[in-house]
Amino acid sequence: MRPSGVQAGGRASGLFQRWLKRRIPAASQVRLNHRQIFIIPSRAGLALLLLLGVMLIGAINYQNSLVYAVTFLLGSLFWVSLHHTYRNLASLELHASGSHAVFAGEAAPLHIRLLAPRHEHQALTLGWPQTQPQRLDVGKDSDTRVDLYHPTQQRGWFSPGRLRIETRYPLGWFVAWSLVDLDWKVLVYPKPLSVPLPPRRRAGAEEGDQPLGEGVDDFQGLRNYQPGDSRRRLDWRAYSRGQGLHSKVFAEPVQDTLWLDLEQTPGADLEQRLSYLCGWVMQLEQQSRPYGLVIGGTSFGPAVGEQQRDQCLRALALYGRPA
Amino acid sequence: MSANALIPRNSLAWLLIAQIVVLLPQLPRLPIWVAVLWLSCALWRVQIQRMRWRYPGTIFKAAAIGLTVLGVFTSQGTLIGLDAAVMLLLLLFMLKLLEMRNPRDAMVVIYLGFFIVATAFLFDQSIVLALYQCFSLLVLVAALVGLHQTPGRNDPARAFKTGSVLLMQAVPLMLVLFLLFPRIGPLWSVNAPGQNAATGLAESMAPADIANLARSGELAFRASFSGDIPAHSDLYWRALTLSNFDGRRWSHSSLASNGGAGEWTQQGEAVEYQVMTRATQQPWVFSLRGATTEDEDLWLTRDFMLQSKRPVSQTTSYTAVSYPDSLMQPSELDPLQFRLYTGLPEGFDPRSRAWAAELRAEYPNDSDLVQALLQHFNREPFHYTLRPPTLGEHSNDEFLFDSQRGFCAHFAGAMTFVLRAAGIPSRVVAGYQGGELNPRGNYVLVHQFDAHAWVEAWLPGQGWVSVDPTFQVAPERIERGLQAAMQEEGSFLEDSLMSSARYRNISWINALRLGWDDVNYQWQLRVLGFESERQMAFFQRWLGTTDWQRVGVILLLAAALVMIPLALWTLRPGRMHRDPRQRAWQLLDRRLLRLGLNAQRGEGPRAWQARLEIALPNQRTALAAFFDEYVEQMYVLGAELPDRQQQVRLRGHLQTLIRQLPRKRPARAGVLLE
Repeated sequence: MRPSGVQAGGRASGLFQRWLKRRIPAASQVRLNHRQIFIIPSRAGLALLLLLGVMLIGAINYQNSLVYAVTFLLGSLFWVSLHHTYRNLASLELHASGSHAVFAGEAAPLHIRLLAPRHEHQALTLGWPQTQPQRLDVGKDSDTRVDLYHPTQQRGWFSPGRLRIETRYPLGWFVAWSLVDLDWKVLVYPKPLSVPLPPRRRAGAEEGDQPLGEGVDDFQGLRNYQPGDSRRRLDWRAYSRGQGLHSKVFAEPVQDTLWLDLEQTPGADLEQRLSYLCGWVMQLEQQSRPYGLVIGGTSFGPAVGEQQRDQCLRALALYGRPA
Repeated sequence: MSANALIPRNSLAWLLIAQIVVLLPQLPRLPIWVAVLWLSCALWRVQIQRMRWRYPGTIFKAAAIGLTVLGVFTSQGTLIGLDAAVMLLLLLFMLKLLEMRNPRDAMVVIYLGFFIVATAFLFDQSIVLALYQCFSLLVLVAALVGLHQTPGRNDPARAFKTGSVLLMQAVPLMLVLFLLFPRIGPLWSVNAPGQNAATGLAESMAPADIANLARSGELAFRASFSGDIPAHSDLYWRALTLSNFDGRRWSHSSLASNGGAGEWTQQGEAVEYQVMTRATQQPWVFSLRGATTEDEDLWLTRDFMLQSKRPVSQTTSYTAVSYPDSLMQPSELDPLQFRLYTGLPEGFDPRSRAWAAELRAEYPNDSDLVQALLQHFNREPFHYTLRPPTLGEHSNDEFLFDSQRGFCAHFAGAMTFVLRAAGIPSRVVAGYQGGELNPRGNYVLVHQFDAHAWVEAWLPGQGWVSVDPTFQVAPERIERGLQAAMQEEGSFLEDSLMSSARYRNISWINALRLGWDDVNYQWQLRVLGFESERQMAFFQRWLGTTDWQRVGVILLLAAALVMIPLALWTLRPGRMHRDPRQRAWQLLDRRLLRLGLNAQRGEGPRAWQARLEIALPNQRTALAAFFDEYVEQMYVLGAELPDRQQQVRLRGHLQTLIRQLPRKRPARAGVLLE
């Protein structure tokens, strides 16, 4: 997947990306130094130079030593601020400290640790072009943890692209930045679609037309009605006898496993079918009903629980994609 | 800094303080409504911040700008010129407050502040203002730092500290640029600001004018001599000659000045001196009799005045050499000049004219007549006073025969009148006489109260001869100065209670005053007067060359030299450890980091070695050698530092290892970073 942090297309941009890749290779931790830091005068800095030009002409025309002095002092300050701005990024360490999987459309949380072994770093801005930048200070010897969020759109492995870390501190006349590739990979599951569960298909049995997802075979007894219980399970006979409202409880049979199969999932669009499957997995997990998944010649389960869920979602996320 | 963020509250406080600091030195030059305007703008902006009031609308802003321009026009009388431009700039600086929404607007305010700090020096270059403006710049820079701090974590004290550090670090490069940046002349002609007349001599003189000038304790100019300082009575500083008389006032005649330098015969001893004059807005400058100069901006007129090509609009210094004993125009005056210097208006002072005719009959020789006149002033009960009576239409008659009380201008004017009436070419010379010696700096201070007028008469064979009737009446004025002459009358600087010169008799005040004056003089001479000539002299003295190419190279070298400490500070690879073992570890660490290999925090040497051996299989032996030595030294010696032999051994292993390390990052480096 193309890193979304850079503009797509363009030969020049492609060349730039390759050059950037050589210069700042992907790594899970980066210590910023002159190889990674770029620095140029900001627009405010250029405006200052313009102002100094006018002041210099004034000094020459009025032959005024003190106007010369002010002009030169500000000019030197411009130079000094270059060093300070550079230094405000230099020697900062960035450690990618992980992430966790999300569903497509959600923002992927990316955890990062910032270490300042040499000196304090002030007014840093972190972010991607698509995100609201985060501003923070990193104190000397402190271990600062920041959570950044990047929107996701497609399932599969997502890499948020090069993180831009920027500073204009202290005077705003220079902008120093680096584009670090923290080797982030976030697994993005398909966007779960909430639709009714598919008809149950018992292993070996013909397809039935029974109501969805409810065991009705082994009647186990009655319990007091709770809001949310299905009306079909109410024991009307007991109600008519004036015993109050009760729901019938049926035992879930062990073999009552719902098999989810990509091949059997309706819909023309693959992504949509994967989304259905994803939604079903989540639904079944919520109901703690065992299920199995058949996808791309591999089957998972039947089982229920975190491990099964993660396996299935991972398979859905990576179906047809490089692992 | 994002452009649409709002200005945090303490940033606004900063900007308001910075504005006050920047505006303060300008306010005395401006009408009072400017201060009122600033207060209302500030109040409005604070109310906006408190969500009480709203930002002004477009119509209001347009009206405010219109009124501002009108205000500038009414107070300055024009919209063109520097004074009006600076005033307009100041008002816009204030109005910008009402439009300041986001940090970018705040930047504009700060930039305007920088500009206004610089323009203040066009009006005043005193040492006090210069020090104050250093503070102004510091406040502006601190405000800029504050604006760039992380929002919500603004810390004014830290902004101040950072601002000071930045400015301090900027000073060395500034000095190099200041000294070596070529001082070239003006690109186009500009009018200097502050055209309002300065205290000082004017182009015409009624008898009472100089007496008024004598009430001012202000400094007129300073002069330092390369040799001994001449006696007080010899310091006749010529400024301008007054050749026209209209019955009331003596005035300067351009007819007398124009037509090339006057011819003269140089003789006697030379006196070399440097004069530092303040802005007079007049073209003439001050010199002793018989002056020559190599200054390109100055020229000598036909009536022996030293004139500047442009009115002196700022503190200027020049060097001149005078030959006071020279003969000025010893050959005949041409008829036109003769008529000019003997001309008098009809219908004034009949008694003086009659007396002149009597004298002429008695003394046919011009020289004798001049002497006779001087003796008359000496003998008769003339009185030298700063409080002369008001004179009527025939001022010379009334002065000579009735009141006999007057100031130098009365004496010089009356004597010239009589000489002319007797047919002797003569003129009044206006200038300064004497001056106060500052023993600290060994120079002479000439104040406005040293203003003086005397007479020049043209005598055959001798040319123009200076005579001073005042000396006949009050010799102490010439020998010791005005204060001595006025001791009895008690009228010295009676109107200026605050003038420090008034308290010259109190010795510690006087020492302070003269010390401060010396500081100012050096400031003007060395800092303000650092222009092309002085810069050339500086190059010649310190660099041994004035060739621009060489100076350019030296400029670059010097600039690079002063930048090195800063560059080292920025790029310095961290402080090296004192322990040689740790130092070796750090060196290797740094070298390996370049290959994309870094040790984890708290990772022990053996674990690190094991990981390295995977990434760098070819360097296994060298790695082992170094790590073995390192581990041994670390664990055997503990806190004890290794001896010389051990250090050499560790260092040797390190060098072998570093030599063997690949130049590029190894393919398997990634393994170690996972």
